[in-house]
Amino acid sequence: MSSLREAYRKAQAEWQKIENSEVPLFLVGAATCGRAAGSGEVLEALRSELDARSVEARVIEVGCLGLCSFEPTVVVRKDSAATVCYGNVGPDRIVGILENFVMGDDPCAEWALGKMSPGELDGIGDFYDHPMLRRQVRNVLQNCGLIDPENPYHYLAREGYRGLLRALELGPDRVLEEVKASGLRGRGGAGFPTWQKWEACRNAPGEPKYLICNADEGDPGAFMNRSLIEGDPHAVLEGMLIAAFTLGASQGYIYCRAEYPLALHRLEVAIGQMRDLGLLGQDIEGSGFSFDLTIKKGAGAFVCGEETALIASIEGLRGMPRPRPPYPAVSGLRGKPTVIQNVETLGNLPLILRRGPEWFSQYGSESSKGTKTFALAGKINRTGLIEVTMGITLKDIVYDVGGGIPGGKALKAVQTGGPSGGCIPAEKMDMPVDYESLREAGSMMGSGGMIVLDEDTCAVDMAKYFLSFTQEESCGKCAPCRVGTRAMLSILERIAAGEGEMADLDRLGEMARTVKDASLCGLGQTAPNPVLTTLRYFRKEYEEHIEKRQCGAFVCNRLLRYNIDADRCSGCGACVRACPVDAISGERKKAHVIDQETCVQCGACLTACPDIYAAVYRRSGELVRYEERREKAEKAI
Amino acid sequence: MKLTIDGKTVSAREGETILDCALRHDISIPHLCTHSALPPFGACRLCLVEIEGMRGYPTSCTTPAEDGMVVRTDTEALGGLRRNILSLIMLEHPSACLVCAKRELCDQYRPEAEKAGRTTGCHTCNNKEICDVRVMAEEFGLSELPVPPIYHERPVERSNPFIDRDLNLCILCGRCVRICRHHQEMTAIDFIGRGSKTRIGEAFGRSPYEAGCQFCGACVDVCPTGSLCDRYAKWRGRPERRTATTCLFCNAACALELQSSGGELIGAKAVDETTPICVLGRFAIPEFLYGAGRLRVPVVRADGSLRETQWKEAIEAAAEKLRPYVGSGFALVCDTTSTLQDRYIFRKFAREVMRSENFVEIEPDARGASRVELPPGTKAALLTGDFVDAGQLEPLELLIVQDCYPTPASEHADIVLPVALFPEVDGTLMDVSGRERPLRKACEPPGQARPEWWIVAEIAKAMGAEGFAYDSVATISREVGKSTAELLTERDEAPPAATDVKRRRAYFRGHRIDEKVPGLRELPLDDAPASARRVGVEAESAGGFRIVQKREVAPNIHEIVIEAPGIAKKAQPGQFVIVMVDETSERAPYTLSDWDAEEGTITLVVLEVGHSSRKLTVLREGDRVAHLAGPLGIPAEVDRLGTVVVAGGCYGIGAIIPIARAMREAGNRVIGIVEARSHYLHYFGQKLEAICDELIQTAIDGSMPTKGHAADVIGEKLRAGEKVDRVVVIGCPFMMMLVARETQPFRVKTLAALNSIMLDGTGMCGACRVSVGGKTKFACVDGPFFDAHLIDWDELFTRRRAYAAHEVRAVGRTESVALHACEAHGAGAAR
Repeated sequence: MSSLREAYRKAQAEWQKIENSEVPLFLVGAATCGRAAGSGEVLEALRSELDARSVEARVIEVGCLGLCSFEPTVVVRKDSAATVCYGNVGPDRIVGILENFVMGDDPCAEWALGKMSPGELDGIGDFYDHPMLRRQVRNVLQNCGLIDPENPYHYLAREGYRGLLRALELGPDRVLEEVKASGLRGRGGAGFPTWQKWEACRNAPGEPKYLICNADEGDPGAFMNRSLIEGDPHAVLEGMLIAAFTLGASQGYIYCRAEYPLALHRLEVAIGQMRDLGLLGQDIEGSGFSFDLTIKKGAGAFVCGEETALIASIEGLRGMPRPRPPYPAVSGLRGKPTVIQNVETLGNLPLILRRGPEWFSQYGSESSKGTKTFALAGKINRTGLIEVTMGITLKDIVYDVGGGIPGGKALKAVQTGGPSGGCIPAEKMDMPVDYESLREAGSMMGSGGMIVLDEDTCAVDMAKYFLSFTQEESCGKCAPCRVGTRAMLSILERIAAGEGEMADLDRLGEMARTVKDASLCGLGQTAPNPVLTTLRYFRKEYEEHIEKRQCGAFVCNRLLRYNIDADRCSGCGACVRACPVDAISGERKKAHVIDQETCVQCGACLTACPDIYAAVYRRSGELVRYEERREKAEKAI
Repeated sequence: MKLTIDGKTVSAREGETILDCALRHDISIPHLCTHSALPPFGACRLCLVEIEGMRGYPTSCTTPAEDGMVVRTDTEALGGLRRNILSLIMLEHPSACLVCAKRELCDQYRPEAEKAGRTTGCHTCNNKEICDVRVMAEEFGLSELPVPPIYHERPVERSNPFIDRDLNLCILCGRCVRICRHHQEMTAIDFIGRGSKTRIGEAFGRSPYEAGCQFCGACVDVCPTGSLCDRYAKWRGRPERRTATTCLFCNAACALELQSSGGELIGAKAVDETTPICVLGRFAIPEFLYGAGRLRVPVVRADGSLRETQWKEAIEAAAEKLRPYVGSGFALVCDTTSTLQDRYIFRKFAREVMRSENFVEIEPDARGASRVELPPGTKAALLTGDFVDAGQLEPLELLIVQDCYPTPASEHADIVLPVALFPEVDGTLMDVSGRERPLRKACEPPGQARPEWWIVAEIAKAMGAEGFAYDSVATISREVGKSTAELLTERDEAPPAATDVKRRRAYFRGHRIDEKVPGLRELPLDDAPASARRVGVEAESAGGFRIVQKREVAPNIHEIVIEAPGIAKKAQPGQFVIVMVDETSERAPYTLSDWDAEEGTITLVVLEVGHSSRKLTVLREGDRVAHLAGPLGIPAEVDRLGTVVVAGGCYGIGAIIPIARAMREAGNRVIGIVEARSHYLHYFGQKLEAICDELIQTAIDGSMPTKGHAADVIGEKLRAGEKVDRVVVIGCPFMMMLVARETQPFRVKTLAALNSIMLDGTGMCGACRVSVGGKTKFACVDGPFFDAHLIDWDELFTRRRAYAAHEVRAVGRTESVALHACEAHGAGAAR
């Protein structure tokens, strides 16, 4: 007990050093996403510049603020009256900020995303009033980007492990009641009430009981869990302690994919710190509760996110699901009662314990309480990791948080739940984002992938993309999933190639329902969702592909015909040289022609045709598309 | 515990699954991946049911029965779902024959499967006769597939010395993986890869031996398809008889189910499915029984050389020669692999007839070796195996050997008597724990081989001894006072050799087992030196005809270009050549698909369909075939006729090309109609398109735009009034018969090529005798083309079946040899 109390004292001191820092402070977003965007170069430039100018300052590598489209981001705290968050910071900008703001008086408002300090600062708005943040409620992500994830005292200073202490005080039964009262449901996808799973595990005979943290985030384009672990690993670990204490679990595992090296590193560091603080091992904080943790690296199989496959993988077997019942809560790892929770679910637990279930359930809708993080991506102005209250409408996410569709294009649909989810068409944007509404619409919450699609997206192509993913990631055990996904894909390919027939649509629907109803695990049961939702909302598009051999979005290559506008062609021969199959002919200085039989629709001619002519255009079925640059060319003339 | 299944109240046992409970109460639920010896798996999804209060469709094989459950197994929704699941399974399993409209007719005319390399349909499947999947597909009435089937085009894997693995058939039920884990507590095999690339195999490309396979064969026994099969038994079909008996290779005395047909042993498997048996029991017995050199006829030395004789003469000779040694210098040596009854008779004979105390009974060592020194003063000996060093045999005045294979002793002997081995006799033996176990006769001994007790009793009688008038083993047993022995059907743990192949026995009665069972030589023993591996003879580089080019154009169909300038110069459309791969090969006819007089090459399209064609198709570019004769046969009659249909199937797609070309050049309008079981079996499409005025490619399973047989297309054209002046058809007899049936009513002259029934190609063997218009013809010299309307097809099919058994035996015995030919590159041509 004494060690933790002492740690809190030390934490206060540490945090004071941040709050009342006497030297300038630089918080550089250096999670995986920040690094990919170039934060490494920023750090290098900053450090060498500080050295060169002999400026004393503190540079901290922090997690991610979730502002992907503004990466790299740096929070610069000049003094308590001037703290500003900057976006798209490159090596030049950081030097500029150092020179003009830290060493001068100009806060570089043009690069600022917002100020984090009170008071007026050269017209820079409040950071949390930034359009991307205004509608967000950052609970789970509260520390991300603002604390040093490798410094346990930062976490402790921000109420860290207070949730655990309260849990130890309350005892397991009352913790379970609080979690039940909070209405927390699993953030991994299906939204199963957390307390129910816990109760089943507690009631199941068998010792020891196991707790597993599922950090095998595998949806393409999803990175909520990675960001949380990289930015605030102790929040997840505290959640694990609370869950384990309630369940009576003595051993925990974190199953994290090996493709997340930084997250794994942060977890290893944090677990070491927990041991130092007496938060792992025997008799934690004198409560009699003992718990230990092991990290298991996954090899990046999508199916290992499925709980029974994940268990098999931890057991050293091939990651293949097994039928349920028995559910893992009754017979899981090594046949013992096991609870598996998603990273974000665990991240919510310390908050519920600290602030109470009423605080938690004030957020969200009737059936879906709290907030949810989403990885907002696709055809949207502001991509990023966002946290919003459940029940917010899709429209609010797309237009307010995300800032709408780039290039003035029209919104077509939003795909939620990654390859397991479905797309929700533009006309349903008023739909609240909660478990039930999404399921009703044929999609699912999923773990939080959210891909925005604009008018240039083809529904058939999109279904094809997601199916090609699931058919490769199917574990191969059950026939409906292994063969069904491939068979559906082959029909989609046929349609996309203009070789489909109307009966294919019924076949596709029938097959999708078979795969959904008959597959062994969640992967197969949800794999047809992209097909079923596109068939439901964009059937006309499918029909056009089949009957008119037309892809309205001009995506499906085989349905495109490249043509040369004879009036515009100068016969310069650029396209002839670019064509890889010698499909273009014509005399020099005379209009050229593309032989449709030979053409492979690679688009090389379109790119090669000089802007001043812009003579190449495309047809698909009844549609003709002149490229934008042609209009520009016309204007220029 | 009571529950309701389909309205019927049934009682369930504690821990029982719904499926087990239903099956126990005669309620059938389709299932494939479930197996009685294995824990549930839930992969095939066919056993889905509806349970009140549970959402979705749980699998009955994994859901425990609970009190008060209300289960439906036969709703309309379930029926549809199961049908769809099965059709998905069938997409990955060669399914063309299952959805073929002519299935019944095909089964009637050609019940035996073709012995192809890779399986491409039931008709080329070794499992055809005993297939669960086929039965199920028939029950579901599966007649079409939602999308073209996926053929994985995987080669047949033969890296296991006893098991062929054709993953083109695999439905990934996981039974083999699970039984391996269950039986051997290890995973020599597992699922490998993901998604549609998932397959069964050894990790990291290891060989089965390296991966820890103990060759217990349990995986073969549980495989519901023909993917895994015992190479020796591969084409034998359903055994006529199954006999539960005991293995005698060692004294672990495993209970075996021996399978036989026509008195011949085909295979063996464990009686108890829950514990493994060793490689000897599972795989070695048939090859050990029928190895080259098995003694079949009694032999007596006369004038210094051994001469085959009759039993009567041999027995009399033995009796006469033994008489001088009664009471002086006689020894009888046997080991404990003879039955208790045999050994009782041996002892009785030695003591009572020969009045000798020198009855030597050897207990074989852990390797099965039985060596002994003859008692001092032995002048005459009767040996039942290779037990005594040759040096000791030299001085003997009389040596009688009764044995199964020749040995140095039998070379030396005055009389050699062939004995029946344990699957061929009744009797009793003693196991390692001293319990008596029964031997039951499962097959006939080869030739004139006889049980050991019978031979010695006959000699005794011939020597005038009383008390040897036994007519069966039972009469001996009664005299000895043996009670009935029981099979060892349940045991606590597997015998040592079953879980460690290195601990198996190497000898049986002094004979190296692996000399008779070549596959065993690939599984080295720790302490017994491996017997020399047969090395292929190097090809004579100058002799024979060189293979210039070879490729598999479709599964099992190989295009082979051979250097043969003489033939290339003279060839005409419709002619064929005879190929002998090596000096001892069968002569096999192949139609010329093309030739190039300038290059001096000929092109054959060869369907890998049995022993001889496999020998040819395992050769590689640069290899040579020993003999090539041709061009043979009367060339196809080519005239300006008007519209000519050339129809081809299988190898015929390649073989009709010269005829199509010649007909076109003669000014005819040529319609090419080629059929294959499925889309992936078509080849030469572009070539034919360039030659024919119209080309129609059909797939029997509907995976090409035109569904059905070539015959269907021809029939349709004729019925639609299209004028056809001539039809030429090359393919299997069944395909040609179907075409003939369609064209006959329209009186369109139809010529069929009967190459596939030929054997020697010279008119001498008579194998290709065929009745055409009531006249006897020989396809090889009078053909190959005959008027298809005049051919007596029924007789032709009957005659074809006459050789089926021989072919099966040839393939079974030589499959591994063909493999070796392939491995020892170049050796194939000369062997």
